[in-house]
Amino acid sequence: MRAKLAVLIAGLGVVAVSAPVLAHHSFAVEYDPKKPVEGTGVIQKVEWTNPHMRIYIDVTEPNGTVTTWNLELGAVNSVLRRGWKPADLKAGSTVSFKGYGGRKILTRAAADALTLPDGRSFTGASGAPDAPAKP
Amino acid sequence: MRSVAAFSIVVIGVSVSLLAQEPDRRGWWPKLGGEFTPTTPEEVANGPVPRMPDGRPDLHGPWVGGGSNGDVEADGGLKPGELPLLPWAKTLRDSRKEDDEPYLYCTPMSVPRVNPYPWNFLQSVTSKGPGTIYIVHENGDAGRIRHIFMDGRKHPDDLLPSWWGHSIGRWEKDTLVIDTSGYNDKFWMDSRGTPHTEQMHTVERWTRINYGTMTNDFTLDDPGAFSRPVQLTFAAKVQPPGSELMEFICTENNQYGIAAGIENKYRDSGFGLEVTPGEQK
Repeated sequence: MRAKLAVLIAGLGVVAVSAPVLAHHSFAVEYDPKKPVEGTGVIQKVEWTNPHMRIYIDVTEPNGTVTTWNLELGAVNSVLRRGWKPADLKAGSTVSFKGYGGRKILTRAAADALTLPDGRSFTGASGAPDAPAKP
Repeated sequence: MRSVAAFSIVVIGVSVSLLAQEPDRRGWWPKLGGEFTPTTPEEVANGPVPRMPDGRPDLHGPWVGGGSNGDVEADGGLKPGELPLLPWAKTLRDSRKEDDEPYLYCTPMSVPRVNPYPWNFLQSVTSKGPGTIYIVHENGDAGRIRHIFMDGRKHPDDLLPSWWGHSIGRWEKDTLVIDTSGYNDKFWMDSRGTPHTEQMHTVERWTRINYGTMTNDFTLDDPGAFSRPVQLTFAAKVQPPGSELMEFICTENNQYGIAAGIENKYRDSGFGLEVTPGEQK
């Protein structure tokens, strides 16, 4: 019984640690959960900055025009603590993204997930970049 | 057939609009938008309280938490409505919008506010023995450094109100007691907008109860905004051994508000209470 209780407490500890914490600001203030967005494009610029990290991605539309998306992530300190490194996200590489559009400017979006050409996916939930997807 | 198609479209329309119901604004979060500061695993956290050479508890962390971010009433252990706000203060809190938090413009959080980033106690030692205790916050210009004077001095009579006030400390057995006066009224105690006045006086009682946990028994007294002193309780969790604070310069690239068209209402008015204390809006 005592062992079971210990396991239960350990489990609760894990839940408490992985539960989302409030960010520098509430994302819902700026971004709209009713506006899910996604796309694939080329990383133009990565800003490893606080209070939030940003990735600018050039997406070529079917008609040939290029839209630059400004994706907001968490604080750069949080991203680094999850195990990301600057080498993981380089300008010029192709990346797919999912996120939520800005309440006023859709292309200023909150990033929810990023997938690199090698299959690695950053979801922010695992505590480190996910392993490459199995073929 | 046409009527069946029309019916289907209506049904689809209804279900789409149901799915599109906006979730609770506090509960919805994109995964990459969440913040992350690891804390020590339970088996390490349950270890003994480390000691300084003089036998006092070593309060060094770094720590996460120990205060409130979203709602000082709920996070401090009170039931809804128990925070004894004066009518004008309650009216002001209810009128404030999370979108307009001064903190979003990189101003300091002050006390007892916390954010998801770590902070630390630094217990200085001088040639005369233990000296001033400092609290350092990772959250750079929005957090900065608090000086806790341990030499027995009093609060000056002519304090200019400031973001972090004037703090004097003492030990009561293993508890570090921090008494702070001289706060300005420019910060919000939480993103809910709980207000206070320059009469605010706080007493923090920090007790490291094991390696990984430190409680903060917090007395909040502000006759300008509350009908009586109130007692709140918070807890901080330690980061894994070897963790360090990182650089965090909030003004470096703060694009807050642009995506949603939120205007900085403080650009012209400056920060501070939107009403004169006691004034009913």
